[in-house]
Amino acid sequence: MDTVIDAHDISRIFNPETIPVIAVNHVHLHLERGEFTALVGPSGSGKTTLLNLIGGLDRPDSGSILIDGVDITRLSPNQLINFRLRNIGFVFQSFNLIPVLTAKENVELIMQLQHKNKKEVDERVRSLFEQIGLADKMNERPSKLSGGQQQRVAVARALASKPKFVLADEPTANLDSKSASNLLDIMALLNQEENITFIFSTHDARVIERARRVITLVDGQVHSDTARVETSMQH
Amino acid sequence: MNFILAWRNIWRNKVRSLLIMSSVALGLFAGIFVLALYEGMLRARVRTVIDREVAHLQIHHPRFKDDYDPAFLLGDRDSLLQRLSGVPSVRFTAWRSVTQAMLSTATGSAGVQIFGVLPGEENQVSRLGDKVVEGINLDPAKRNALLVGRKLAEKMKLKLGSKVVLTFTDRDQNITAGAFRVTGIYKTDNTPLDELQVYVNHHTLNEYLAIGHGGHEVAIILNSDKEVESAKQVVQGLFPGQKVMTWKENSPETDYMVTSVDQFSYIIIVIIMIALAFGIINTMLMAVLERTHEIGMLTALGMNRPKVFNLILTETILLTVVGVPVGFLVTWLTVGHFSKAGIDISSFSGAAMSGFGFSSMIYPEFPWRSIPVVMAIVACTALVSALFPSLRAIKLQPADALRL
Ligand SMILES: Nc1ncnc2c1ncn2[C@@H]1O[C@H](COP(=O)(O)OP(=O)(O)O)[C@@H](O)[C@H]1O
Ligand SMILES: [Mg+2]
Repeated sequence: MDTVIDAHDISRIFNPETIPVIAVNHVHLHLERGEFTALVGPSGSGKTTLLNLIGGLDRPDSGSILIDGVDITRLSPNQLINFRLRNIGFVFQSFNLIPVLTAKENVELIMQLQHKNKKEVDERVRSLFEQIGLADKMNERPSKLSGGQQQRVAVARALASKPKFVLADEPTANLDSKSASNLLDIMALLNQEENITFIFSTHDARVIERARRVITLVDGQVHSDTARVETSMQH
Repeated sequence: MNFILAWRNIWRNKVRSLLIMSSVALGLFAGIFVLALYEGMLRARVRTVIDREVAHLQIHHPRFKDDYDPAFLLGDRDSLLQRLSGVPSVRFTAWRSVTQAMLSTATGSAGVQIFGVLPGEENQVSRLGDKVVEGINLDPAKRNALLVGRKLAEKMKLKLGSKVVLTFTDRDQNITAGAFRVTGIYKTDNTPLDELQVYVNHHTLNEYLAIGHGGHEVAIILNSDKEVESAKQVVQGLFPGQKVMTWKENSPETDYMVTSVDQFSYIIIVIIMIALAFGIINTMLMAVLERTHEIGMLTALGMNRPKVFNLILTETILLTVVGVPVGFLVTWLTVGHFSKAGIDISSFSGAAMSGFGFSSMIYPEFPWRSIPVVMAIVACTALVSALFPSLRAIKLQPADALRL
């Protein structure tokens, strides 16, 4: 197997001086390429903090995080930004898209930051929009898209940079159940057909069901880590 | 994409952006219009100085201007004027005798400067005839005719027909006096000069001064303003024993004004722009604050600091410069209208203006030569205003910004 994420004994403590909050407490996390993993746990259990750490948006107070063999805790701030751009796809809970750019431009923006040439950008953007089933909505502004459609565009954008893995922090939190399951279908399909690694946080039982591995956090610590049987193709 | 993004971003809050853009346009309009007024005033002032006061060039005995001693005469009139007429750039010449005098009436007296002139020449060189507002121009047939300025007439309570006595020293230091009668009153835009200078017939003054056909001053009008320096060299070469002076030397305050007024008007524009900068900074800080989540997301996705900085910088520059062409156009049209119609400021500051030799009718001129400087000032304003909001934007930490 092929290791993508290897987080070793990481901790993150907020407000160490005043009222310390140990948001992530000595966590070990190991993810292989092609995983489709859910991070679950009650609100305040440290899901967002953990995802921010392995996504290079925040730095742990202790421990090391290897992404594809690179210890991102040792990168300079500028190196880290560039590392995120080239290696990690992000889907956030809401307001994922830049409202003044069309769906297509939102996806193109990332590829332009990577200095991809125009032909490559055009081809990839077209095929991504076909994969998320929104080829006909490419030129719409986000405000013209439903919440579910917006999240699908966000998935397309996360994939545009051909990342090592995609982090999604409660991607379905603001969606109705139909849109949520639709988004999960697309993510699962991309995972199976293109071997894209996904790790997403959620506390929605129907979303948890779709994961092949479920890591449960409680008070910043890994409470359980279970592999599940294949269920995502039932839909 | 950066540019497209910036351009669309500035239209997210249309009212706010339009307010800034119109402030910039209005500020520029005010600033450039002031420049245009100065430009128009200065050009008019320079024209007056040349056409009505000191001509392009003047020739004197090198020591004459020290204390206006009538003994410091120029050479023979005919040969001097003939040699001047051989200089191609010389258009008109006027031969004058000049002295200081005391003008007395039954009720008072005042120091004046008397010009003994030949009206025909003077009408060409200093437009003397045009300046007469009451009575008539000097008439060589009327021996004791006197032309005084309106200001002096008011001060000394002189009317047409009033008798005055002029007292002065002749070339041999004898004190002489002559009785004159006011036959005309003139008025120019330069009240201090109107109060000081009086005109009499050349031959009359020369008799009192006992200088025959002599003269103290030749005033020269050239074919064009551009020839002043070169013509000075030529004329000085012809008369090495005399002193030739340009209008800039004869009216140094005018020359100084031309150079200093530019800087003064730029200061006005800088002040306007500083005021605008506060509005621009405030607007952009608000824009950055409102978009904290979005900017944090862009950083999270991999937009580096220089690019985020560049985005906010571009937005600020666009916000600032969009109003610039509008401001220029409106100013250009307004100036175009008033450059023909003129602006009459006599109702509120006419007296003050003519105290400095300015006409109360201003014909503004679009200050083309200042536009590059104005553009540079606007560009600096945009850059300086962008600094603060851009720095604020790149300081955002993605993990914190995304929680909002
Ligand atoms: N920037 C921060 N400053 C202080 N406390 C924080 C900060 N971010 C998160 N926390 C705290 O850390 C804990 C974990 O939060 P979070 O990772 O957002 O949990 P979850 O995503 O599972 O709801 C919570 O108690 C939260 O209040
Ligand atoms: Mg969370």
